[in-house]
Amino acid sequence: MTPTQLDSENPGSALAISGLSKVFNAGNPNEVTALSDVHLAVHTGEFISLIGPSGCGKSTLLRVIGDLTGFDSGSVQVSGKSPEDARKERLYGIAFQQAALFDWRTVTRNIELPLELAGWQKSQRQERSAELLDMVQLSEFAHHRPWELSGGMQQRVAIARSLAVDPPLLLMDEPFGALDEMTRERMQNELLKIRVETGKTIVFVTHSIPEAVYLSDRVVVMSPRPGRITAEIDVDLGSRDEMTRESDHFFRCVTSVREALRAHDTSNSTSSSHRGEI
Amino acid sequence: MNTKLGHVWPPILVATIFLGGWQLLVVVQDLKPFLLPAPSLIASEFSSGAAMMWGAAYYTATTAFLGLIFGTVLGLITALMAQRFITVDKLVAPLAAGLATVPIIALTPILNNMFNITSRTPRVLVTAIIVLFPIFVNVTRGLIQVHATQLELMRSLNATPRTTLRVLRIPNAIPFFFTGLKIAAPLSVIAALVAEYFGGPQQGLGSRIASAAANTAYGRAWAYVLAAIITGLIFYLAIIALERLVTPRTAQVSTTH
Repeated sequence: MTPTQLDSENPGSALAISGLSKVFNAGNPNEVTALSDVHLAVHTGEFISLIGPSGCGKSTLLRVIGDLTGFDSGSVQVSGKSPEDARKERLYGIAFQQAALFDWRTVTRNIELPLELAGWQKSQRQERSAELLDMVQLSEFAHHRPWELSGGMQQRVAIARSLAVDPPLLLMDEPFGALDEMTRERMQNELLKIRVETGKTIVFVTHSIPEAVYLSDRVVVMSPRPGRITAEIDVDLGSRDEMTRESDHFFRCVTSVREALRAHDTSNSTSSSHRGEI
Repeated sequence: MNTKLGHVWPPILVATIFLGGWQLLVVVQDLKPFLLPAPSLIASEFSSGAAMMWGAAYYTATTAFLGLIFGTVLGLITALMAQRFITVDKLVAPLAAGLATVPIIALTPILNNMFNITSRTPRVLVTAIIVLFPIFVNVTRGLIQVHATQLELMRSLNATPRTTLRVLRIPNAIPFFFTGLKIAAPLSVIAALVAEYFGGPQQGLGSRIASAAANTAYGRAWAYVLAAIITGLIFYLAIIALERLVTPRTAQVSTTH
């Protein structure tokens, strides 16, 4: 599999995580090991997906990278910096399952929010937001309010907002999780297009195996109790098109991710083969 | 157009039936005005004393307006301060309930002694204190009821608490502020009116109702009550108009439930 050794010295390293552990409610009876000894290296321009059942720590891992939550031990380097410095230097953009748009702002002003906080001049902001609106094909909705948009369109606004300051890293926490299947596939294609246009490094959290396979260069499989990485599967589908989802290669990749997920499902429950994990 | 009319006629119908029934009851049962004056009597008193009604309503409305402004400013300031310490909505509810049990209007005689009873000041203060609470409770709620994801977004953007307050919490609290104002505005008229029952200048609605009743002019007393209702309604409608002006339509709908 891919090397998971520390290579923060490498200038091509977007993300280097080693021996990362995080415990919730330490010392209490309800102590949970959210992440245990996580090693992960992501190269600049790489698209990786974190996949696993609920409670496997995939969202927590994303939040540690974004410095939205702390960690207990190990080391995390985002573009060679601590997560806190990376956040303060606005080295990443983030999109969540909820678009989290501000209802009182127009679409344009939502996209300009990160630029405002970064102290951009008004004319620069307008130029940049127009560019981003064009990228997510929402130019005609520039002055609409978020609630006037469909779920998929709102999510596109959120993605445009995450790209606003042009950060090298994009963190995405199930951004298409609340969308219907057709919208979801269209959004996946758009995301891949944006990725090609911008060359961002992307860490993408998802529940969906086909989504992870379709989008990623590498699928990182995680398992709960304790939250940890149990497998990393390289996906070499090349450039995606309409036929990709129906190709044998795609199905083989889906199968290997599914098996990797299942392997740890059964290993936890000793001999019985189908004990449902909660 | 049809649906608009559909909204208008039920209240008119109810009001007509109610007033008609009231009139009928008074006439058929031959009720004395001190028990219940007929709507026709109240209406004639109201129109014959229109100038007096207007003057009294103007005096009380001025007290209410000053109290409303003063109380709203105080409510906003306290909410902004409280927001830094109250981080969970659960803490707001008991606080609101506790404040609601304080008999503020009972403070009037005390304030009358503290301040010049011949001035408007004690009444404005009582009104302000009454207005303060609904504004405080609602605005505090609006400032802290922010989506967790939106807070995470602000953190990811390296926003300071002050920036988060300006960019996220305050805009989020605006519909809550109007909810508070819609409670506070009619309340300010009631407070200003009731405060007049405790002595002081006699030209307001409250004083007029009390003196009309004392002089057994029940029809006139009720006419002043009608003037008070109209005044409260004007305050309420003014807030609705202000809200329409300030917040876009759909934002109101999403926060009224």
